[in-house]
Order: sequence, then C-alpha cells, then structure tokens
Amino acid sequence: MTQYLFYLLAALSVISALLVVFSKVPMYSVLWLVVCFFTIAGHYIILNAQFLAIVHIIVYAGAIMVLFLFVVMLLNLNKENEQHKNNWIRFAAVVSGGILFLTLIAAMRSTEVLAYNLPPKSEIGFVQNVGMKLFTDFVLPFEISSILFLSAMIGAVVLAKKDKN
Amino acid sequence: MNTLIYTSCLGLFCLLAEILNLRKLLVPLVVLGITVIFGVNYMEWNQGGSFYNDMLRIDHFSVAFSALVLLVGMLILVLTADYYKNEIHHISDYLAILIFTLCGALIMLSFSNMAMLFLGIEILSISLYIMAGSKRFETKSNEAGFKYFLMGAFASGFLLFGIALIYGVTNSFHLEKIGMYIMNHDATTISPLFYIGMMLMLVAMLFKVAAAPFHFWSPDVYEGSPALITAFMSTLVKIAAFGALYRLFATCFVGTLSYATQTLSIVSVASLAIGNFTALHQTNFKRLMAYSGISHAGYLLLAIIALYANTASALFYYSAGYAFATIGAFAVAIPVFHSMQNEGMDAFNGLGKKNPLLAALLTMSMLSLAGIPPFAGFLGKYYIFSKAIAAGHVALTLIAVIASMIGAYYYLKVVLAMYTKDSNDKTIEASPLYIMVAVFCVAMSLVLGLFPNMLMGLI
Repeated sequence: MTQYLFYLLAALSVISALLVVFSKVPMYSVLWLVVCFFTIAGHYIILNAQFLAIVHIIVYAGAIMVLFLFVVMLLNLNKENEQHKNNWIRFAAVVSGGILFLTLIAAMRSTEVLAYNLPPKSEIGFVQNVGMKLFTDFVLPFEISSILFLSAMIGAVVLAKKDKN
Repeated sequence: MNTLIYTSCLGLFCLLAEILNLRKLLVPLVVLGITVIFGVNYMEWNQGGSFYNDMLRIDHFSVAFSALVLLVGMLILVLTADYYKNEIHHISDYLAILIFTLCGALIMLSFSNMAMLFLGIEILSISLYIMAGSKRFETKSNEAGFKYFLMGAFASGFLLFGIALIYGVTNSFHLEKIGMYIMNHDATTISPLFYIGMMLMLVAMLFKVAAAPFHFWSPDVYEGSPALITAFMSTLVKIAAFGALYRLFATCFVGTLSYATQTLSIVSVASLAIGNFTALHQTNFKRLMAYSGISHAGYLLLAIIALYANTASALFYYSAGYAFATIGAFAVAIPVFHSMQNEGMDAFNGLGKKNPLLAALLTMSMLSLAGIPPFAGFLGKYYIFSKAIAAGHVALTLIAVIASMIGAYYYLKVVLAMYTKDSNDKTIEASPLYIMVAVFCVAMSLVLGLFPNMLMGLI
C-alpha cells in the first residue's frame, strides 16, 4: 500500500516539477510549485516525519509561495515578454545538466539498496523526538542558527529602511 | 569555543549599542572587543578538544586560522570608522553584520560536523550578500548583492545535496565517522553516491573560493560592492573557505583524495590561467583584484592537492601573506578612489609624486602579491610549491611557477602607473587610519617574509 502511494506521489512531484519549468506563464509555475511542495510533504509523511511535513507546508507552501505570488503580481511578470537566452547557452546548460543527471542515475543503479534499510517504524520524525534531538545532540547548530536569522533580519532592515535625509 | 561565543556576543552588543546611543564610540569599543577575543583565542591554544557532542573541534589548526581571521576582521573594522563616517546612523547594523560574518568564518574553521559547516558557510555568505548590496542607491552595488545572492544560493543547494548523499551512504554527519567509513572500505566498495556527494560539496566550496570555472560571480561582485567590503570578502572568505576545505579533506575525505586530485588539478590550472590572463587587460582596480584572487585560489588549491605532504602550515603562511598584502593594497586604494572619484587604474596615475608614502605602501603590497622577495608573498609561494613537488606534482608546480611570472606583470602595471604616468591636479588625502592599517600590513608582510618561522612552525 505504502509503496503504491510512494510511486503515485513520486510521479506527481516529478510531473509538477516539470510543469514548473515548462509553464510559460509565471503564475502557473508558482501554482505548480505549490503542488510540488505538497507532494513532497506527502513523502515526508510516508517516512513518518510528520513534523517536517507540517513545517514544510507552513513555511514553503504557505509563506514562501505567498511571497512568490506577491512578487509575480507586483512586478507584473505575468506576461510572456521575457527574453530567451541564446541557443548556445541553452545547449551548454542542457548538456551539463544532462551529464549530472546521467551520473546520478548511474550511481543510483550501481549502489546496493540494502545499505539503506532504515528501521521500519522510526519515530524520529515525531515532534517530541525532533525536539529532543535539537536540544541535546544538535543544541549548538540550533543556537548558532539564531545568528544566521539575526543577520538576515538586520540585513532586511538595512536594505529596506528609509533614510532620514 | 569561547572565541565563537564571545564574538557572537560582541555582535549582539553592536545591536544594543544603537539603543544606548553609543554610535560614535562603537568602533573603538568593537576593535577593543576583537582584541580581547584575540587574546581569548590565544588562550585556547593548549585547551583544544571537541565541544557540544563533537560539533566543533578546537585544535592548533583552527586556533591559528581563527587568529588570522580575527586579525583581518580587526583591520577592516578599524577602517570602518572612516569609511562609514557619513553613514553613522547605519554603523551599528553594519558592524553587527561584519562581526556575524566573523562568527561564520570561525565556525567554518573549527567545524567537526557537516551541519556546522553548512551553518558556518550560510552565516558568512548571507551576511556578505547584504554587505555587498549595502550601497542601496547604486545600481552596481544592487547588482553585486543580487548576483552574489542568487549564485550563492545555488551553490548552497549543491552543498546540501552533497551532504545529503554522503549522509545517505555513511549514516552520519560527523567528519570522523565519515572518515571511518572511507577507512573501512576500499576504493571499489565505496558507494558511487559517496563520490558524487563529495564532488557536489567540492563544487560548492570551489564556488566560495572563486576558483575557475566557478568564478564568474567574483569580478562583478567585487566591482560592485563597496571597496571596504571587497577587501573584506577577498581576504576573509578565501581564508575561511580554504580553511574549511583543508579541514574537510584532512579529517574526512583524506582516504578519497586521490579520486579528487585530478579534478582539483584541472580546477587549479584553469584558475591560474583564467585569473592571470584575464587580469592582464583589466582597467578597474577592483576587477583586477578579483582576477588576482582567482589566481591565488589556484595557488592555494595546490596546498589541498598536496595534502599528503602536510601542507597546513604552508596554507596558513600563504593565506596570511595574501591577506596582509590585499588589505594593505585596499587601505591605499580606498582613499585614492575617494579623492579621485574613480575606481579605474588611472586613478593611481602620478600617485608617486602626489603622495609618495601611499605610493610606496601600495608598491610593497603589490610586490608581495606578485611574490617578489623579501615579502611574505614570495615565501608563501615557495612553501606551497616545494610541498607540491614533495607530493610529486611537478608538472602542476611548473605551470604555477609560469603563471606567477605572468602574474607579476599586471601587479607591476599598477606600480608603473603610479610612478611613470602624468597626473591631474586633484590632491589625495588619506585619513591617518588608512595609513596606519597600510603600514601595519606592509610591516607584517616584511616581518613574515624575513622571519617565516614565526608562522611556519605553528601548526
């Protein structure tokens, strides 16, 4: 049962990710991205990581997508007047991206799957377990990330504050 | 460990100073704070160990590099007093961000866990994206900040993907456990995903040090950023990223170094070629320094490739020489740009007559960058090249030697402009702070060049 669900979600996320790239209208891209994020949240739930799934939906599908929509609307990007890159750059991008893709596929094929047998009923994704981990093993990264956010917040103020003169 | 905690607290203090109305006193206080932290860092020399469940590991390598990073930070913070004197209402924000950048660098130099590496790189980069774009009403600065941000975010994606693949293979974020995984497997049984993860991490790190072919952002970002921030970026980021790269390879990927050697060699040669040849026909000083930085990344990569020859002290010595020479050059260039209202190479025309002291200081910094004795730049190159030969990379070293000869030409072009070209009537005024910092940097280059054992025996 879980396996079929996985294949369904995986197919949906790949299709929606492709549609994000291939949609001509930016607004549709944003909306397909929302779909993509929801399917990925589905993967997290299959992996028994409820906390991550909820955070993913709140932060990405909620906050960041709203931001994207605002930017698309405010900048009036909803037209097809974007200039296309020249063909050589496209060609180079396709080749290098394709090589990376091929290498990844080849590596996946030649790795044994047995090495990744996680314990089937892992409870690490529950909120209290994540919290325990964060405040015991990972307490330093947890605290240090506050510097990161502080720095980003000051940056937002610095870049957006109105000058008095 | 205390170094990091105190530095974070100093950053918080800068923000509080705005409330306490200490803006005018802030720069001296912060410089004093960094001096104290420098002392705290010195005290940790013999008190190493791992902290917080092996998230950070303090050893001689990290203490030595942290001292260098703090010194670079101190020199730049001294200059902020003059550079931002017209933007006094922003000073506490700017200083806080600069100090947080230092925190990021300190983490990158002492991490022992991939999570810490990622956080360190992000703290460093996000702070610098902001500083690069901090001249809000200049299009060039906006472009610099935005370009750096977009490209940097992309590189972070590569880093995360790499870390995730390595975690998938080894089941651990700890450098030591990943190293154990490599030790317990021979080259054929290591999962291919591990190699891909390592390469993806390498891409992100090479982006941060601006090595070719991941260098495209650096000339534009260096040119558009405020000159003081360019000086900060070109020294601090390079030192921290190379420290992190060395740490990553020395403690974790050492078993798979032979796999990466070929890639690193190609990147190194490409950086040397692109950096030096493109620098030959630059007309903007900051772009020149960007390409010079790319070529120096090429030399520094030799120290990573020759890891088996124990290159930590050579890397440290070279980084110190590069940092002092670059900051010395910028400490002269910033007041010149300011007086001439021009950031091109022709701003230096006739500086030798107008202000002989500044011209002499810039000449000596340039000679150190070019690697001419008796300055630290020469011995730095010598140590790295001799280690590379000791590790058996003779052809690579030969290319690097040729590249450094080509490099000498464009550094001397700046010197020639100062002494042989005619000038206009604008006078150059430099505040004593700039002269003080430039004199200090040049003196350090000379002292290090004459007494290299001060640093070479450290690590």
